[in-house]
Parts: sequence; structure tokens; C-alpha cells
Amino acid sequence: MSEHLTASAQSAAVDGSVQTGGTGGQPDPAPAGRATAASSPVRDAAAAFAARYGLLVAFLATVVVFSAVRSSTFPTWRNAESILTLAAPSLIIAVGLTVVLVMQDFDLSFGGMIGLAGGAATAFMVNHGWAWQLAVVVVIGLGVLVGVLNGFMVAYLGGNSFIITLAMGTVLAGVEFGLTDQATVYDGIPAGYVQIASGELLGLSNQIWIAAVLAIVVWVLLERSEIGRFMYAIGGNPEAARLSGVRVLRLRLLGFVVVGVAAAVVGILLTSQSASYAPNGGTAYLLPAFAAVFLGAAVFRPGEFNVLGTIVGVLFLGVIQTGLTMLDLETWVINLVQGGILITAVLVSRMGMARR
Amino acid sequence: MRALERVEARGIVKTYPGVVALDGANVAVEGGSILGLLGKNGAGKSTLIKLLAGVIAPDAGELLLDGAPIELHDPHAATAHGFAFVHQELADVPNLTVAENVGLGLGYPTRGGLVRRRALRAQAAAVLARLEAEIDPETPLARLSIAQRRLVMIAHGLAADARLFVLDEPTASLTDDEIAHLHRVLRTLRADGVAIVYVSHRLDEVFAVTDRVTVMRDGRDVFHGATADVDKPRLIEQITGTRGAVEARPRRVAPAGGEELLRVERLTLPGIVEGADLRLHAGEVLGIAGLVGAGRSELVRLICGADRAASGRIVVRGSERRIRSPRDGMEAGIVLLPEDRKTQGAVLGFSVRKNITLPAMERFRLAKPLPLPSQRRERAAAGDLVTRLRIKVADVEQPALHLSGGNQQKVVLAKWLDSDADVFVFDEPTHGIDVEGKEEVYDLMAELADQGRGVIFISSEFTELVSSCNRVVVMRDGRLVEEFEGEAISDAALVASCYSH
Repeated sequence: MSEHLTASAQSAAVDGSVQTGGTGGQPDPAPAGRATAASSPVRDAAAAFAARYGLLVAFLATVVVFSAVRSSTFPTWRNAESILTLAAPSLIIAVGLTVVLVMQDFDLSFGGMIGLAGGAATAFMVNHGWAWQLAVVVVIGLGVLVGVLNGFMVAYLGGNSFIITLAMGTVLAGVEFGLTDQATVYDGIPAGYVQIASGELLGLSNQIWIAAVLAIVVWVLLERSEIGRFMYAIGGNPEAARLSGVRVLRLRLLGFVVVGVAAAVVGILLTSQSASYAPNGGTAYLLPAFAAVFLGAAVFRPGEFNVLGTIVGVLFLGVIQTGLTMLDLETWVINLVQGGILITAVLVSRMGMARR
Repeated sequence: MRALERVEARGIVKTYPGVVALDGANVAVEGGSILGLLGKNGAGKSTLIKLLAGVIAPDAGELLLDGAPIELHDPHAATAHGFAFVHQELADVPNLTVAENVGLGLGYPTRGGLVRRRALRAQAAAVLARLEAEIDPETPLARLSIAQRRLVMIAHGLAADARLFVLDEPTASLTDDEIAHLHRVLRTLRADGVAIVYVSHRLDEVFAVTDRVTVMRDGRDVFHGATADVDKPRLIEQITGTRGAVEARPRRVAPAGGEELLRVERLTLPGIVEGADLRLHAGEVLGIAGLVGAGRSELVRLICGADRAASGRIVVRGSERRIRSPRDGMEAGIVLLPEDRKTQGAVLGFSVRKNITLPAMERFRLAKPLPLPSQRRERAAAGDLVTRLRIKVADVEQPALHLSGGNQQKVVLAKWLDSDADVFVFDEPTHGIDVEGKEEVYDLMAELADQGRGVIFISSEFTELVSSCNRVVVMRDGRLVEEFEGEAISDAALVASCYSH
């Protein structure tokens, strides 16, 4: 096992050195010439590789380990589908979060928004008898509204995004509780609404499809569109972007709208999947979403938030979660191992970057 | 600490990539005297000060304290020798009180690990009294005026028992009364045996307060003398350099009545730009001369929409435009190449390609209606500009971060070069660029003007204004005060106009 890993790391190091020396392709984040005096070209290349793909290697290694230890249950199609389905809501919110983080803003209100979305949809349909389609549209509109409010206060009024969105999260939880009386709801949720998340298309859960489509949309937005280029420019140097004619305030507001909509979708999916509503269901997504995005910033383009990295981050967390559960470990062991793997993965990538 | 006799910098050489900042400079100041250090921007004064402050190390030459060589490896070493600095940009801590600033870094008086506030206060009060400064030591620094904050910096030096004070443009944004007070303080310090270096563009003040003057030009000391033995024309001649009048470049000939591209009327940002009127015609390179702090950058930032004016009109090609953001400015056909490339010009984490295409992304679309850029087109356009501007990069995908200052500046120039704007504003475009690069920038501006565009050129090196501009306006204290055209533009005339006060 360890022999196999060493070999793959070495062959990868060769690839890395080719890329470092080449002229075309992506900008090289770790030029060999700037490394410390004691280093050799091979070690530089290895470091560059560790910085760029270390997390990916760790992710694959984790999959290999779990597959070896639970060979009958882990490496199965069923399990893969289950991991993807579980990870879909996290992926949606983490991908949305990537957009604001690219512009150096924070959004901590999405936990509240997820809860409000589920609560509001349930209240509209169960208490007020709305058609589920109407409820869905209105709830997504609510996500847009919350994003606009966040964006206006942060970008246009200059509020600190950390505090504003933290406070907004509390406000949203208040609205949620006001709408639902904090009562858990099991009955009266329309079948059509339940089908949104629990339905299948081509043998895969709708949740996976929805998450995939949204991830692709955000990937195109950030990586392939003018808007994405502008957003990265804002993250790199907001004043230079402004003087280049970029509409900085408007795009920062747009970032919060993306998160608001993503949170609304997640809130709908969660209540739809379980065919029930429980109060304050969004807070649990706060930390894992940030963890996934920051893990993602340690892969592909080290130091930069990017959608592909975020996807790897979400899947990594999902695999660890499921794999550890399958090992029948005690909860405290799961916590230790989960945290330990995360810290190790991030630090390995950081060590590669620190050599710049 | 006992008074020092003499601090001397001898044969100092300091080069930066592409630039010789100091080229064998000699400067000396004696205890109990005030030395006026003069020279144009870029003459090497700031580099010399940084050297004395231990911020940078010289490539060659030595520093002597009372005849013995000293080495200043870091700012702490300078402080230990009793050197104190009052920088133009205040280096104090606004959220601390006056007393806390005065004692900063000197070791606050403590008992059992806790700061003795009363002793701290007394220490500050004592030095402030020596400066005749009526400032409550408990006031937060942020509430003081600029003049008071400079006095607090001097008080900090006194509390540190400094024997050499270096003041860099200490009277910038001070009133006449405040200047008089500052000069009284300096004379008191001189009587106590302190050595003082007084850096200023304002010749009247130099005559009022200094004992000796040293003039620097192009990194060398070109004149030393007793202040009493020189007069103002002589100093101006030394500052500009008599040979500066020789220009290799042919002067720009004024075009015959080009169309009016830009008219600025009574543009005002109170306290910074006061009622500026400006016209720019097609085919014209218009220079704006002035000293640092005169409001030149601030004025063009208003014109381009980087900042918002309080009042005034901007008329582009005959129609009034509301310019409230840089984007409005671009849409009106006005583009700005900002002064500070690192903070305003370039996204350092971006590649050269992404920097160059940023202001004009829609030109590089895969297909017109789709806001998706074609990297192939971007690369082609960026590669073309890199060749035209001779930017030294291996590849347009190289990050701007690791380029030299001059090359970064060229990348910022390249961003705008293919724009179809009518008005190009270049704010200190040759700052930090080597001689060859400068020539290329001049050629670019001339080329743009010859295409029928208008160029506004801000520079602190007046010789380049003389050689590049059809017309030069001089700015002083936020106002446009004088205009020179054609043959009337000369280095001496511009310097005299800037300094007349």
C-alpha cells in the first residue's frame, strides 16, 4: 500500500517537473527558481505537486483505505450513490459560498436561510394551502431578497460582511420560528414537493442532478465567464478592478444573491427529502460548507478558492463521514479521525505552498 | 545621550533594478545646526533618509558618526544611535493616546508588569512642554491636527533622547502659524545641540530656518553651502541643473486648433481641488506640473471618476457627462493610468494576460452575445501588446506579481493602450522605469496624441513635461495657477511657478 503511494508520488513528481519547466498551460504557482537554497529540482517539483494535488491524493488514498477495509460495502455503486446524494445539499451551498469567498466576502447567514427556506415552504403549503410550485418559487425569491439585503448592506453601505451576515442569520432564524412556531411538521406536505428531492432521473437521485447542474453553472460563471474574471479581480485587488471599470459593488451583491438562492434550494431539498420540517435545520451546514471550500482552496490552484476544489472538498468530507460510519467507530473516534484527516490534508498542501 | 558632532554619509551608492537612486552622494550635518536638503522628486533624498533610518542598506559608501563608521542594519539600530525621523506620511498610531505614542517603543514605565499611566503621562507632558505644545497627553492621537501629530512625532524623538532629527516635508498641509511654531521648536532643538536635517520643496522655509543647504540631483550632491551665501535663483538653478535644458527629444508642436475633447469647469473637492478649469484638445499632450501634495492626482481622479467631485462640470466632446465612477469615465471616453501600480493598477495575482484584458473583456468574447472570453483571443492580444511595449516576460501567463516595477507599469499601460478612449490620463507613468522605458512611454503618448486623442500627463520630473507636452498647467495648493504653452515651457519656469508662494 505505502509502496504503491510512493511510486505514484514519484511519477507524479516527474509530471510536475515537466509542467514547471514548460512554457504553455496554466500559470505556475510555485516557480522553481524561488525555492530555498537547500532544495533540489526534484524536491521542488514534488512540493509543487503536493501543493496542487496533495489534497486530491489524500482524497483518493482515503477512498482506497475505506475500500480495502470495508471491501464488501464501501466500494459499491449503491454506496457511491448514497454518498453523492448525502453530499448534494452540501455541494450546492459550498459552491455558492465559493462565489462570495472569491471576492473576499463572508456569508454566515446561509445557515439561517436554509432553515427559513424549509420553514417558509412548509408553512406556505401546510398552513396556507399554497400549491407546492408557488411555494418553491416564492422561497427562491426569498433567497434572492436576502442576498440583495446582505449585498446591499455589505457592499453599498460598507458593513463588515462577517458581522452583517452573522446578524442576518439570526434575523432569518427569527423569521423562520415566527412562521412555523418552531413546530416540527410531519403531515400535509404535498407529494409533488416530496418528489423534488426523492425522485430519480436515469437511476440517480434528483438531488444529485440538481447539485451537478448548479455546480456546473457556478463553474462556468466563475471560471469561464467575464463575470467570474471580474470577481477574481475584485478578490485580488478591488481598487484596480474598480479603476478598470469593473462594477465592484454590483458583483459583490450578486455573490450574496448566489448564496441566498443556493441556501433556498438546499432548504427546499432538505424538507422535500425528509417529507418533514424540523426547526433550525440549516445551522449544521455552516461549518462543513466552509471546511469544504477552504479545503478546496488547497487543491488545483493553491491559495485560491475554486469550484473544482470545492467539489473535491465536499466529496472528501462526504467520503470520510460515510466511511467512518461504516467502520462502526465510536462517535468520539469519528470526530478525532475526521478532524485529524482534515488538518493533515490542509497542512500537506500548505507545506507545498510555503516553499514559494 | 550626549550631543553628536557630525553625521556624514560618504560616497553612497544605491541602485534598484533599472534605477540608480544614489550615485555617490555625500551629505553631512553637524550638531547644533539645521541642514536644508533640497532636490526634485527622484533626486535621491528619500533614499538617503531611508538609509539613515536603517530601512535599506547602501550598495557602496559609508555612514560616519563623529568620524567613526557605523552600520545601520535595521531601524532599531538607527534609534539606538539617537536618530529620529518625522516622515511625510505620519508613522504614528492614531488609536493610541498622545502619551502612549510619545512613549511608544521606548519602554513604558511599569510597576509589577502594569503600565504606570501617571508616569507615562508625566513623561509626555514634559517633552510636550519643551515643544510649547499645548496638547493633553491623554488625547487620542486621531483627534489631533496634522501639525499637532508632527509635534507628537518630534516629542517621541525627544523622549527617545534623539540627537539627530530628520524631517521630511514637515510643513506639508500646515498653516503659516503652525509652520512658524514648528520653526521655533527647531531653533530650540538646535540650541540644545541637536543636528537637524530639514527636507523641503519650499525654498522660503529653507531660507527661514536652515544654516546650510545641500542640493541633490540625479542621486548626487551637486551643491553645498551656507544658506546665507545663496539666493533663490541660484538654488533653483542647482535644483534643476543647468544642463537640464539640453533635450534630445524634439518638442511637440502645438496642433492647429484640434477639436475640444474635454472641458472641465470649476471642478471642486473642498480642501483638495479648488475650482479647476481645464481644456484638452485633440492631438494635444497637456502636462500638469506641481509639487507633491498640490492636488494633481486628486484632480485627474475626479475627472476620471475614481473619486466624486463636490461640484463642477465635465464636458466631453461638447456634451456634459455625469462621471460618478471609473466606469462612467470609461463610457465617456476617459481612461486613467493610476499613480500607484501596486495598489491601483495591477491585480498582482493575475497573469499578465488577465491584467491586460481586464478593462476590455467584451472585445475578447468567443461570440459577441456571449459574455464568455476566448483565451486564445486574449492571449493573442496580450502577446501583441507585450511585444509592442517590450514587456520582459517569458509568457503572458506569467503572474504580474514577480515582474519588475517597470514591467508591471508597462502591463498597466498595456491595459489601456488599445482602448478607443478619447482622453488618456497618465499619472506619473514613468515612475520607477528606466531611461529606455521612459522613452517608450513618451513615444506612446505622442502616438496617441497624433492619432487625434488627448493626453493628460502628470509628472514630477519637469524635464519630461518640457519635452513631451504642448501645454503645461501648474497646480499649487489645489488650484491651477499658471499655464505655459510652446516655447514658454521650460524646466526653470515650471520650478519657479511651483515654488512661488
